[in-house]
Amino acid sequence: MTSYLQLTGISKTYGTFAALSKVDLAVDKGEFITFLGPSGSGKTTTLMIIAGFEKASTGDVLIDGGSITAMAPHERNIGIVFQNYGLFPHKRAIENVYFPLQMRGAARAEGLRKAAAMLDLVGLKDLGSRYPKELSGGQQQRVALARALVFEPSLLLLDEPLGALDKNLREQMQIEIKRIQRALGVTTVFVTHDQSEAMSMSDRIVVFDKGRIEQAATPLDIYHRPQTKFVAGFVGESNLIEAVVTDAGSRLATSPALGEIEYAPSETAAPGKPVMLMIRPEHIRLSRRPIEGRRNAAMKIETIVNYGDNALVIGNSSGVPMRVRVLGADVVILKEGDDCHISWMPDAVFPITA
Amino acid sequence: MNRLLLSIGVFAVIFIAAPLVIVVPMSFSNARSLQFPPPGYWLGYYQAYFTDMRWLRPTWNSIIIASGTTVLTMTLVVPATFALVRHRFAGKSFADLMLLMPLAVPHIVMAVGYYSFLGKLGIVQTHLGVIVAHTCLTVPIAFLVLSANLKGFDRTLERAAISLGASPWRTFIHITLPILKPGLIVSALFTFVQSFDETVVAIFISGRDAATLPRKMFDSIRQEADPVIAVVSTLLFLLVLAGIVAPPLWKALRTRMKAPALSSGDFQS
Amino acid sequence: MQASITRLTERPTLWPWLLLTPLALYLAIFFVVPLVDVVVMSFTEPKPTLSNYTHVLTGALYQRVFINTFATALLVTVVCLVVGYPLAYLMTRVSPRSAMLILTLVTMSFWTSFLVRTYAWMVLLGDSGPIIALVRALGVQDPPHLLFTRFSSTLAMVHILAPYMIMNIYSVMRKIDPVLIRSAQSLGAKSGSLFRHVYLPLTAPGIANGSVLVFVICLGFYVTPVLLGSPREQMIAGLIGHQIDEFLAFGLGSAMAVVLLLITLTILTIYHRRFGLDKLWG
Repeated sequence: MTSYLQLTGISKTYGTFAALSKVDLAVDKGEFITFLGPSGSGKTTTLMIIAGFEKASTGDVLIDGGSITAMAPHERNIGIVFQNYGLFPHKRAIENVYFPLQMRGAARAEGLRKAAAMLDLVGLKDLGSRYPKELSGGQQQRVALARALVFEPSLLLLDEPLGALDKNLREQMQIEIKRIQRALGVTTVFVTHDQSEAMSMSDRIVVFDKGRIEQAATPLDIYHRPQTKFVAGFVGESNLIEAVVTDAGSRLATSPALGEIEYAPSETAAPGKPVMLMIRPEHIRLSRRPIEGRRNAAMKIETIVNYGDNALVIGNSSGVPMRVRVLGADVVILKEGDDCHISWMPDAVFPITA
Repeated sequence: MNRLLLSIGVFAVIFIAAPLVIVVPMSFSNARSLQFPPPGYWLGYYQAYFTDMRWLRPTWNSIIIASGTTVLTMTLVVPATFALVRHRFAGKSFADLMLLMPLAVPHIVMAVGYYSFLGKLGIVQTHLGVIVAHTCLTVPIAFLVLSANLKGFDRTLERAAISLGASPWRTFIHITLPILKPGLIVSALFTFVQSFDETVVAIFISGRDAATLPRKMFDSIRQEADPVIAVVSTLLFLLVLAGIVAPPLWKALRTRMKAPALSSGDFQS
Repeated sequence: MQASITRLTERPTLWPWLLLTPLALYLAIFFVVPLVDVVVMSFTEPKPTLSNYTHVLTGALYQRVFINTFATALLVTVVCLVVGYPLAYLMTRVSPRSAMLILTLVTMSFWTSFLVRTYAWMVLLGDSGPIIALVRALGVQDPPHLLFTRFSSTLAMVHILAPYMIMNIYSVMRKIDPVLIRSAQSLGAKSGSLFRHVYLPLTAPGIANGSVLVFVICLGFYVTPVLLGSPREQMIAGLIGHQIDEFLAFGLGSAMAVVLLLITLTILTIYHRRFGLDKLWG
């Protein structure tokens, strides 16, 4: 099966600076895919290349098997929601939504009816006659979404659209956007630097760094099986232990500080290969005494950061800094400076070979 | 310290206001000379202004010249402003500076230049001649106003329009132009007023046939102090008053009228 | 437009040149050529010599006019500052409503044709005007003529140019953060030193802007000095006009115009180096 949206060998250079190098990606029809990465990682540049506002130095963009690289941006039939929405201040909400239909030669009555229906879908039934400045941030966001969807685009691009909203509204809009996207089944590319947003909304996450794709996988895979050290560090919190594979058959690696550690099944680990062993803080247990059946290590508690329902305990285990997530109720018995034990199951240790 | 300040302030306000206010009663005066307070009041000089071709013609000339100047200036300045605000190219800062130069040259110097130059072109003492000269003088103001507006323009709006299927040309017509409209109007208005008020160059090059209103006013103040000048002054002053007081009033009125429309639902019905 | 909108970051295109060319050509022909004409005439009329300049630069009449012009421009600038600075300050201290009213008044004055304002001063200062009447009422038997003197033209020019000064200073004062003043006070600055060390330096850009603008406009002022000033104490612009209009002495008029232009440009160039010319009319 061929993919719906394909990027093949996309590079972008400004002078000698490579903003993107050799980006390949395939997105299925109806998929909600998120570009995640720090600023300057190339995620927005990639989005702009798909939209046609930037020209790739090399490579090709295909939609449904056909190249759109040579098309002007206005011929691409791609809906975009911009960071600051880009609503036309001189047009009412409904005229904003009607605009793409107007540009496509729709009859006025029919176009306005469709626009009204779309406003209804995004939950703004009665606000069509308002001007953008008379709407709240969240409402403006919905108008922008309706406008980008009303002409049944072949692709929806969302460029950090939630950045300007406060936390509560942002969570509400995450659910809204997901609901509308499912209802319409439109293939969607979402750009963000917020990992929790990426986790909660995406079918698949593409992590960018320094103009390259680090990993493209489902949110769970990204979290539990990061392919690179960057992904492990950027998404969620993690403990990374340097080690060398000693026995691939019985899945053993040796860390200079912590000794022999057993890791979860891996296809890339080979004897003699240096690896990073990743253990998520919530997979480590903290106890007074070693626990049988688990890999144990001694740790001295240095700092406790309390979040209420949980706490992050930061300590030192044979010179390796370790972070452990504990439930809020357990924190009361812990003190900074305590000596204790940490332990984990081999399945919680994921070897990163890249 | 503060009392001194306050009294200077009050004095300054009176100093600024008095000359503006005094022309109004003067226009109703029945005196033949500059007498204040007027010995009596009548409307005779208003009648004189509105029937005397020696005043109406210059008024008409000024309107034609200011309109022509506005059209020509905007035609030249609008594209140039887009080039200078939206593009980077070698020589841009030089071009920026050159567009401001007409502001830096005293009008009397330009008057000398135009007196000879327009003579050679054979358009001295014509509407066209004055329009050609005024256009140079109004370019900087039009450019300054427009470029300030264009710099504040959010280009995401154009990208949004293009992504929604508008060609660059339609984007310009449907989005860029309407949003810039207030800036364009203000720019055009400044141009018109500057040309309408321009005196020095007009004195030297407008001659008898194309004499502008300021030229006529200058001559009549200089030679005879024709009382009609008070009428013209009052009318000009009232125009300025209307121009400055009307927009905020209009805005207030509009927001008051629009308020109920907000709650009344659907745009289609 | 296509190129400008879609290729924001691409290599330079021909578009800016195409858009700029009509205006550039227009200014080259109808602005630069007449100016060059003035320069040429200053050397060639009536005969190609330097005699126009030797006249203008060494003749007693011309020297007096130049000095007179400079003195008047300086006086007008200082008076504008003395009147404008306190008024602008007052506008930042009174209620927003009063500030708005004063601003409206200043704006109205600014937009009212200076012929109208010049005429108004003729009425105010005339022999049968209110000021002379007031002086008479105070018991002065034989009040002096105010009109057609250096006094009347200077006063009217101050009135005409004060809005430039006020608006420039006010726009700077308005942006001063009141917290700054309060923190200076909390650090123990007395009102005198507060003004000298905090407020004055902060408002200096406005003063510089306003003063340069007023001074430069005043140097080349034609209408008001000609209509209200003393015929014996002309300013440069008036004399240039006189040479052209009355004597058709284009050479002399042009030479003076060139000198006036050079002085103006020198002042503005110094200003441009330090602050940037585009700020001046901002």
